[in-house]
Amino acid sequence: MEFEQAYRLTQILTSLAFIQQSIEHIRLYRNEIIIFSSRIIFSLILLSGLYTGISLIALFIIALLLLVRFQGPYNGGADRMSLLVLCCLCLVQILPDRHWQEVAFGYLALQLVLSYFIAGWVKVINPEWRNGQALSDVFGFSVYPVSESLRRLSSSHHLLVVFSWLVILFELLFPLSLLFQQSLILALACAAIFHFSNACFFGLNRFLWIWIAAFPSILWLQDRLVQHL
Amino acid sequence: MLRIFKLLLPAIIPSWRFFDVIAASPRIQYVLLNKQSENLSEWQEYTARLRQLNPITILKRLFWNPHWNEYLFLVSCAERIIANQNLSSGVIDNHHSEIEILKRIYRALFSHKNSFDDKGLYLQFRLLIVNRENTQTPVEVIFYSSAKSLTELQCQHGI
Repeated sequence: MEFEQAYRLTQILTSLAFIQQSIEHIRLYRNEIIIFSSRIIFSLILLSGLYTGISLIALFIIALLLLVRFQGPYNGGADRMSLLVLCCLCLVQILPDRHWQEVAFGYLALQLVLSYFIAGWVKVINPEWRNGQALSDVFGFSVYPVSESLRRLSSSHHLLVVFSWLVILFELLFPLSLLFQQSLILALACAAIFHFSNACFFGLNRFLWIWIAAFPSILWLQDRLVQHL
Repeated sequence: MLRIFKLLLPAIIPSWRFFDVIAASPRIQYVLLNKQSENLSEWQEYTARLRQLNPITILKRLFWNPHWNEYLFLVSCAERIIANQNLSSGVIDNHHSEIEILKRIYRALFSHKNSFDDKGLYLQFRLLIVNRENTQTPVEVIFYSSAKSLTELQCQHGI
């Protein structure tokens, strides 16, 4: 994937993810309407492809205001990834030199790889993840299962061991998928299914859209690395 | 400025340690009080979790999931309060997290009312911990919020 193509696709997917996040806030509180309406407007401008520089800077300022408003991310990892994607898009926009633009966009791709690899590493070194107990705890007493009926899964020991290892192996092996374009596309499809499952079981819908928004950066980086080898 | 940078830094250099340890989990319970002292009702759990979800609702929630995401935010606020409780020194400021939890419980309970009739009432919440040994009945209460007047919550916090 070409740099311009990947960069523009990331802008489009990010603006759609931001619109989805912001619409969820609009109906909740009077004093949040202005800031999230502004976020939707600038996301729409970014989506249109006009004034991308201005809209990215405005979205970055809004992101800082939201950080202060909620004293941190509203939605944990999803908001952190949203900020990371936005920072990298802004840097590409303001950096004058193509080399440094590629470094900024490559940083996003690197963090995407690390988001899977580190998550896999911290699980594989934890014996409770290796024997299925951790996933049993997630279903059994954590706040994440979206329905009480899902809590019953905590007693499905063999199933949870299999799923724990599937998650661990997928996350740890993700960096190897960079070797070939086909393997990367397959890994990203698995990643999308993984985020889709998390959205269904744990209600983490924002993770799905913002992680997918970062996918073009890794497709570009893989292409770029292969060209250099 | 330093505060903003401290908030921004974990996004620029993320740790990505998702679910590394499944720690004890907070539950939020609330109660309505009369004149900041007398309980008018039993402690109730505040949760967005339903008994069962059908596949269509689950698919819709991929695009529209405000109440669940708000619930996860309140859990984050509860975890911040618990983390502050565990600090042995320093100034503990739970004001932001307390108000966020109180006003969002208030809105969930009374959003259908345009003008609130029971102006003398107060809302309070407490945090309990659930762990592997006590999955059904949280036993350890680790925090009580201050009791806030419903009128104050309605007027001052933009609900």
